[in-house]
Amino acid sequence: MSSDNKIAVKPSILDREFNAPRSLVFDTWTQVEHLNNWMFPQKGFSCEYVSADIRSGGSSLHKMMTPNGHEMWLLTKYEEVSPPERLVFRQYMSNDAGDILPNPQMPTWPKEIRATITLTETGDKTHLHFVWEPIDPTEEEAATFKAALAERGNGWSAGLEQLTIYLESLGHL
Amino acid sequence: MARTRTTYDAFNAIAEPKRRALIETLAIQELSVNEIVKIMRWNQPMVSKHLGVLKQVGLVSERKDGRYRVYKVNAAELKPIHDWVAQFDQLWVNRLDHLEDYLDKIQRGEG
Repeated sequence: MSSDNKIAVKPSILDREFNAPRSLVFDTWTQVEHLNNWMFPQKGFSCEYVSADIRSGGSSLHKMMTPNGHEMWLLTKYEEVSPPERLVFRQYMSNDAGDILPNPQMPTWPKEIRATITLTETGDKTHLHFVWEPIDPTEEEAATFKAALAERGNGWSAGLEQLTIYLESLGHL
Repeated sequence: MARTRTTYDAFNAIAEPKRRALIETLAIQELSVNEIVKIMRWNQPMVSKHLGVLKQVGLVSERKDGRYRVYKVNAAELKPIHDWVAQFDQLWVNRLDHLEDYLDKIQRGEG
Protein backbone atom coordinates (compact mmCIF):
# COMPACT_ATOMS: atom_id res chain seq x y z
CA MET A 1 0.00 0.00 0.00
CA SER A 2 2.90 2.39 0.67
CA SER A 3 4.01 4.65 -2.11
CA ASP A 4 6.91 7.01 -2.60
CA ASN A 5 4.73 9.40 -4.52
CA LYS A 6 2.50 10.95 -1.89
CA ILE A 7 -0.71 12.30 -3.30
CA ALA A 8 -1.18 15.95 -2.48
CA VAL A 9 -4.63 17.08 -1.37
CA LYS A 10 -5.68 20.62 -0.72
CA PRO A 11 -6.81 20.72 2.91
CA SER A 12 -10.02 22.23 4.11
CA ILE A 13 -9.16 25.42 5.99
CA LEU A 14 -11.42 27.46 8.24
CA ASP A 15 -10.51 30.66 10.06
CA ARG A 16 -12.50 32.21 12.89
CA GLU A 17 -12.07 34.99 15.38
CA PHE A 18 -13.62 34.76 18.83
CA ASN A 19 -14.16 37.49 21.41
CA ALA A 20 -12.57 35.40 24.13
CA PRO A 21 -9.13 34.86 25.65
CA ARG A 22 -7.03 32.11 24.13
CA SER A 23 -6.87 30.00 27.28
CA LEU A 24 -10.67 29.83 27.41
CA VAL A 25 -10.98 28.96 23.72
CA PHE A 26 -8.42 26.19 24.21
CA ASP A 27 -10.36 24.86 27.20
CA THR A 28 -13.54 24.61 25.13
CA TRP A 29 -11.72 21.98 23.02
CA THR A 30 -10.27 19.97 25.88
CA GLN A 31 -12.69 20.10 28.80
CA VAL A 32 -15.78 17.93 28.76
CA GLU A 33 -17.99 20.45 30.56
CA HIS A 34 -17.33 22.80 27.63
CA LEU A 35 -17.30 20.23 24.81
CA ASN A 36 -20.74 18.92 25.79
CA ASN A 37 -22.13 22.36 25.00
CA TRP A 38 -21.00 22.83 21.43
CA MET A 39 -19.39 19.79 19.75
CA PHE A 40 -22.50 18.80 17.81
CA PRO A 41 -23.01 19.18 14.08
CA GLN A 42 -26.45 20.65 13.89
CA LYS A 43 -28.99 22.59 15.91
CA GLY A 44 -31.29 20.26 17.78
CA PHE A 45 -28.53 17.70 18.21
CA SER A 46 -26.79 17.30 21.51
CA CYS A 47 -23.59 15.61 22.52
CA GLU A 48 -22.19 13.83 25.53
CA TYR A 49 -18.63 12.77 26.25
CA VAL A 50 -18.56 9.38 27.96
CA SER A 51 -14.77 9.25 28.20
CA ALA A 52 -12.15 11.93 27.78
CA ASP A 53 -8.41 11.44 28.13
CA ILE A 54 -7.52 14.60 26.27
CA ARG A 55 -3.74 14.77 26.11
CA SER A 56 -1.09 13.94 23.51
CA GLY A 57 -1.58 10.23 22.76
CA GLY A 58 -4.94 10.11 24.52
CA SER A 59 -8.47 9.69 23.19
CA SER A 60 -12.07 10.58 23.87
CA LEU A 61 -15.42 9.04 23.03
CA HIS A 62 -18.61 11.02 22.63
CA LYS A 63 -22.07 10.46 21.30
CA MET A 64 -24.17 12.80 19.24
CA MET A 65 -27.91 12.56 19.61
CA THR A 66 -30.56 13.62 17.13
CA PRO A 67 -33.66 15.39 18.51
CA ASN A 68 -35.52 12.11 19.03
CA GLY A 69 -32.61 10.26 20.52
CA HIS A 70 -30.83 8.43 17.69
CA GLU A 71 -27.18 8.08 18.71
CA MET A 72 -24.00 8.32 16.67
CA TRP A 73 -20.63 7.74 18.29
CA LEU A 74 -17.34 9.45 17.51
CA LEU A 75 -13.90 8.42 18.68
CA THR A 76 -11.26 11.16 18.79
CA LYS A 77 -7.55 10.32 18.97
CA TYR A 78 -5.32 13.17 20.09
CA GLU A 79 -1.88 13.43 18.54
CA GLU A 80 -0.91 16.67 20.20
CA VAL A 81 -2.46 18.70 22.98
CA SER A 82 -0.30 21.77 23.64
CA PRO A 83 -2.14 24.38 25.69
CA PRO A 84 -2.98 27.06 24.99
CA GLU A 85 -2.17 27.09 21.29
CA ARG A 86 -2.19 23.81 19.41
CA LEU A 87 -4.39 20.75 19.17
CA VAL A 88 -4.05 17.91 16.65
CA PHE A 89 -6.53 15.05 16.44
CA ARG A 90 -8.40 12.59 14.22
CA GLN A 91 -12.06 11.68 14.57
CA TYR A 92 -13.65 8.40 13.56
CA MET A 93 -17.18 7.02 13.43
CA SER A 94 -17.27 4.33 16.07
CA ASN A 95 -19.61 2.20 18.14
CA ASP A 96 -20.43 2.82 21.79
CA ALA A 97 -17.34 0.83 22.82
CA GLY A 98 -15.08 3.12 20.80
CA ASP A 99 -14.32 0.55 18.07
CA ILE A 100 -13.81 2.35 14.75
CA LEU A 101 -16.51 1.44 12.23
CA PRO A 102 -15.82 0.89 8.54
CA ASN A 103 -18.11 2.78 6.21
CA PRO A 104 -19.01 0.50 3.31
CA GLN A 105 -21.39 3.17 2.02
CA MET A 106 -18.49 5.53 1.41
CA PRO A 107 -15.61 3.36 0.22
CA THR A 108 -13.70 6.26 -1.28
CA TRP A 109 -14.01 8.69 1.64
CA PRO A 110 -10.55 9.22 3.23
CA LYS A 111 -10.10 6.83 6.13
CA GLU A 112 -7.77 9.09 8.09
CA ILE A 113 -8.30 12.85 8.32
CA ARG A 114 -6.17 14.98 10.61
CA ALA A 115 -7.56 18.13 12.21
CA THR A 116 -5.06 20.75 13.38
CA ILE A 117 -6.19 23.72 15.43
CA THR A 118 -3.89 26.67 16.05
CA LEU A 119 -4.90 29.53 18.33
CA THR A 120 -3.30 32.97 18.31
CA GLU A 121 -4.21 35.81 20.63
CA THR A 122 -4.54 39.42 19.53
CA GLY A 123 -5.60 41.79 22.28
CA ASP A 124 -8.77 40.32 23.77
CA LYS A 125 -9.59 38.28 20.66
CA THR A 126 -8.48 34.79 19.69
CA HIS A 127 -7.96 33.67 16.13
CA LEU A 128 -8.65 30.01 15.38
CA HIS A 129 -7.06 28.39 12.34
CA PHE A 130 -8.56 25.01 11.50
CA VAL A 131 -6.97 22.65 8.98
CA TRP A 132 -8.63 19.37 7.98
CA GLU A 133 -6.62 17.11 5.67
CA PRO A 134 -6.60 13.47 4.62
CA ILE A 135 -3.51 11.51 5.66
CA ASP A 136 -1.77 9.58 2.85
CA PRO A 137 -4.97 9.31 0.80
CA THR A 138 -5.32 7.01 -2.18
CA GLU A 139 -6.00 8.68 -5.50
CA GLU A 140 -9.69 7.92 -5.15
CA GLU A 141 -9.87 9.25 -1.60
CA ALA A 142 -8.13 12.45 -2.71
CA ALA A 143 -10.63 12.89 -5.56
CA THR A 144 -13.59 12.32 -3.23
CA PHE A 145 -12.25 14.78 -0.67
CA LYS A 146 -11.68 17.37 -3.40
CA ALA A 147 -15.20 16.89 -4.73
CA ALA A 148 -16.59 17.24 -1.22
CA LEU A 149 -14.74 20.53 -0.67
CA ALA A 150 -16.11 21.86 -3.95
CA GLU A 151 -19.57 21.11 -2.56
CA ARG A 152 -19.04 23.08 0.63
CA GLY A 153 -21.68 25.69 1.18
CA ASN A 154 -23.69 24.08 -1.55
CA GLY A 155 -26.39 22.42 0.46
CA TRP A 156 -24.58 19.73 2.40
CA SER A 157 -25.44 21.21 5.72
CA ALA A 158 -29.05 21.84 4.75
CA GLY A 159 -29.06 18.36 3.26
CA LEU A 160 -28.29 16.84 6.61
CA GLU A 161 -31.14 18.69 8.22
CA GLN A 162 -33.57 17.43 5.61
CA LEU A 163 -32.24 13.91 5.86
CA THR A 164 -32.65 13.99 9.63
CA ILE A 165 -36.22 15.20 9.40
CA TYR A 166 -37.05 12.64 6.76
CA LEU A 167 -35.47 9.67 8.50
CA GLU A 168 -37.06 10.63 11.79
CA SER A 169 -40.45 10.84 10.12
CA LEU A 170 -39.97 7.25 9.01
CA GLY A 171 -38.87 6.14 12.42
CA HIS A 172 -35.43 5.23 11.12
CA LEU A 173 -33.47 7.40 13.50
CA MET B 1 -7.09 15.88 -13.01
CA ALA B 2 -10.68 14.67 -12.99
CA ARG B 3 -11.07 11.08 -13.99
CA THR B 4 -14.07 9.61 -15.68
CA ARG B 5 -16.12 7.66 -13.19
CA THR B 6 -17.50 4.42 -14.45
CA THR B 7 -19.15 3.42 -11.20
CA TYR B 8 -20.88 5.44 -8.53
CA ASP B 9 -20.77 5.17 -4.80
CA ALA B 10 -23.36 6.67 -2.52
CA PHE B 11 -21.22 9.75 -2.01
CA ASN B 12 -21.06 10.89 -5.61
CA ALA B 13 -24.62 9.71 -6.13
CA ILE B 14 -25.90 12.29 -3.65
CA ALA B 15 -23.23 14.91 -4.41
CA GLU B 16 -25.27 15.93 -7.47
CA PRO B 17 -27.91 18.50 -6.43
CA LYS B 18 -30.52 17.15 -8.88
CA ARG B 19 -30.25 13.71 -7.35
CA ARG B 20 -30.66 15.14 -3.86
CA ALA B 21 -33.82 16.86 -5.10
CA LEU B 22 -35.02 13.56 -6.56
CA ILE B 23 -34.39 11.78 -3.24
CA GLU B 24 -36.41 14.43 -1.41
CA THR B 25 -39.29 14.00 -3.86
CA LEU B 26 -39.26 10.22 -3.65
CA ALA B 27 -38.98 10.39 0.11
CA ILE B 28 -42.56 11.60 0.33
CA GLN B 29 -44.18 9.24 -2.14
CA GLU B 30 -43.67 6.36 -4.50
CA LEU B 31 -43.69 7.61 -8.10
CA SER B 32 -43.48 6.36 -11.68
CA VAL B 33 -41.07 7.90 -14.20
CA ASN B 34 -43.92 9.83 -15.83
CA GLU B 35 -45.05 11.26 -12.52
CA ILE B 36 -41.47 12.32 -11.71
CA VAL B 37 -41.23 14.01 -15.13
CA LYS B 38 -44.36 16.03 -14.30
CA ILE B 39 -43.40 16.96 -10.74
CA MET B 40 -39.73 17.78 -11.35
CA ARG B 41 -40.29 19.24 -14.84
CA TRP B 42 -37.25 17.40 -16.12
CA ASN B 43 -37.25 15.51 -19.40
CA GLN B 44 -37.63 11.78 -19.32
CA PRO B 45 -34.01 10.90 -20.23
CA MET B 46 -32.78 13.08 -17.37
CA VAL B 47 -35.14 11.43 -14.91
CA SER B 48 -34.07 7.98 -16.09
CA LYS B 49 -30.39 8.87 -15.87
CA HIS B 50 -30.57 10.09 -12.26
CA LEU B 51 -32.91 7.27 -11.21
CA GLY B 52 -30.42 4.82 -12.71
CA VAL B 53 -27.57 6.17 -10.59
CA LEU B 54 -29.64 6.15 -7.40
CA LYS B 55 -30.79 2.60 -8.13
CA GLN B 56 -27.24 1.48 -8.80
CA VAL B 57 -26.11 2.51 -5.32
CA GLY B 58 -29.27 1.15 -3.68
CA LEU B 59 -30.69 4.49 -2.56
CA VAL B 60 -33.81 4.01 -4.65
CA SER B 61 -35.68 0.79 -5.26
CA GLU B 62 -38.30 -0.04 -7.86
CA ARG B 63 -41.29 -2.37 -8.04
CA LYS B 64 -43.88 -3.20 -10.66
CA ASP B 65 -47.30 -1.68 -10.10
CA GLY B 66 -49.57 -2.87 -12.90
CA ARG B 67 -48.13 -1.59 -16.17
CA TYR B 68 -45.74 0.82 -14.50
CA ARG B 69 -42.60 0.67 -12.49
CA VAL B 70 -42.71 2.83 -9.39
CA TYR B 71 -39.75 4.12 -7.43
CA LYS B 72 -39.19 4.90 -3.79
CA VAL B 73 -36.33 5.87 -1.50
CA ASN B 74 -34.63 3.11 0.40
CA ALA B 75 -34.54 4.70 3.84
CA ALA B 76 -32.35 2.01 5.37
CA GLU B 77 -29.63 2.82 2.84
CA LEU B 78 -29.91 6.54 3.50
CA LYS B 79 -29.29 6.24 7.21
CA PRO B 80 -25.55 5.45 7.04
CA ILE B 81 -25.17 8.41 4.71
CA HIS B 82 -26.96 10.62 7.18
CA ASP B 83 -24.58 9.50 9.90
CA TRP B 84 -21.64 10.05 7.61
CA VAL B 85 -22.70 13.52 6.55
CA ALA B 86 -22.90 14.39 10.25
CA GLN B 87 -19.10 14.28 10.42
CA PHE B 88 -18.53 16.00 7.12
CA ASP B 89 -16.37 19.07 6.70
CA GLN B 90 -19.30 21.49 6.34
CA LEU B 91 -20.34 20.40 9.79
CA TRP B 92 -17.12 21.80 11.23
CA VAL B 93 -18.43 25.16 10.07
CA ASN B 94 -21.58 24.54 12.13
CA ARG B 95 -19.60 23.35 15.13
CA LEU B 96 -17.50 26.51 15.06
CA ASP B 97 -20.73 28.53 14.93
CA HIS B 98 -21.89 26.69 18.05
CA LEU B 99 -18.54 27.34 19.71
CA GLU B 100 -18.84 31.06 18.97
CA ASP B 101 -22.36 31.21 20.43
CA TYR B 102 -21.24 29.23 23.45
CA LEU B 103 -18.21 31.46 24.12
CA ASP B 104 -20.41 34.55 23.87
CA LYS B 105 -22.90 33.02 26.25
CA ILE B 106 -20.50 31.98 29.00
CA GLN B 107 -18.61 35.25 28.82
CA ARG B 108 -21.79 37.24 29.20
CA GLY B 109 -22.53 35.05 32.19
CA GLU B 110 -19.10 35.65 33.66
CA GLY B 111 -18.98 39.36 32.87
